[in-house]
Amino acid sequence: MKKQFSVDPNLCTGCRTCELACSFTHTVDGKAGRPRIYATPGGFEDLWVPVTCLQCDDAACVKSCLVDALKRNPETGAIELNEAVCVKCMACVAACPFGCALVDPEQDKVIKCDLCGGDPACARFCPTKALTYKPSELKASKIKVLG
Amino acid sequence: MVRLTINGRVVQAEKGEMLLVVMNREKISVPAICNHGAVEAFGACRLCTVEITKNDWNGWKNYVTSCLYPVEDGLIVSTHSETVINLRKTLLDLHLARHPHSEHVRQWAMEYGITQTSFEEIPDGDDCILCALCTRICDRMGFAAISTVGRGHGKEVAPPLNEPPPDCTGCLACAQCCPTEFITFSDSGTSREIWGKQFEMITCKECSKPILTKDFAETLSKTRNIPADYFEVCDECHRKATALTMGKISQWQREDTAS
Repeated sequence: MKKQFSVDPNLCTGCRTCELACSFTHTVDGKAGRPRIYATPGGFEDLWVPVTCLQCDDAACVKSCLVDALKRNPETGAIELNEAVCVKCMACVAACPFGCALVDPEQDKVIKCDLCGGDPACARFCPTKALTYKPSELKASKIKVLG
Repeated sequence: MVRLTINGRVVQAEKGEMLLVVMNREKISVPAICNHGAVEAFGACRLCTVEITKNDWNGWKNYVTSCLYPVEDGLIVSTHSETVINLRKTLLDLHLARHPHSEHVRQWAMEYGITQTSFEEIPDGDDCILCALCTRICDRMGFAAISTVGRGHGKEVAPPLNEPPPDCTGCLACAQCCPTEFITFSDSGTSREIWGKQFEMITCKECSKPILTKDFAETLSKTRNIPADYFEVCDECHRKATALTMGKISQWQREDTAS
């Protein structure tokens, strides 16, 4: 059954554990990665929104990539960036309307959420279950099949 | 499927795959400076040279650039035999003579124990190793704004007629991928200059951070059908706006459950 990553801002306390988990998961050569998820103020008191890639169906990042470095992984449904192919033109960073394709200045590369290959660390470590990754509760007919 | 032996290990590969691709997959590393996943192999730097032989070659060996050599059944590959190391040392020695001021070339040579070239140094040698990665990537992106010009020792990478290239959109992919960081550009916040061409930058309408050049954004909007207003806001301000939108929805939900 297809799993779905879901975000419930009403459960988020803004503790930023997701950011830490993401950063450590993407450590390369001892350099912690830049988080792909950001707990951002939601505009109301005590309201935080963990903003991360929505893995759009008709994604602007994929459309903007002139060298086809961004491809959807049919297993997880996540749009993954192939670092070996990326030419760092920053088209996807500029094109994403949700600001979820980013530059990691430390590791000198473009990054985006890849759902950790099918086991997102942010969801695993979220203490309030504001982030979850589980079999979809919505009726199959209501979800567009990814990929 | 073909079976070959690399450094004593038997590996499987698809017929026709290039040897370097197979080695990368098997995490067997050789230096390959002119290689990039976005473009086809080119064989310019020659550093991925390996030794190949077969059981029925009666002890004969061949030295090939692995990036351009299609794998075949029964191939026996050695990536670090004494001859291969010596070949690579000679190549790096030559690179060092031609580009004595490049920190990158120095670093690559150092890894093979060369600190001083044994050939005559070209004192005013530039840092361009003519790997043509910049021009190949520019072609791949569909701009083809720059190319190699001239032949022999006068060969160089340049825009047509050495004038600001009309097809360049200032995406900086060439400079980002240049292995010796030879391609220079300047960013001033509102403008960018590369290959002698001036570009106007789009700056974030919320925080005025530069995003990308106007030319590049227009090209992407036109050829890739991306709404032009996507490029008006930087990634950070986009995230803030996303949070506010999702925040509003969550607030309604809260009020709904409270009442």
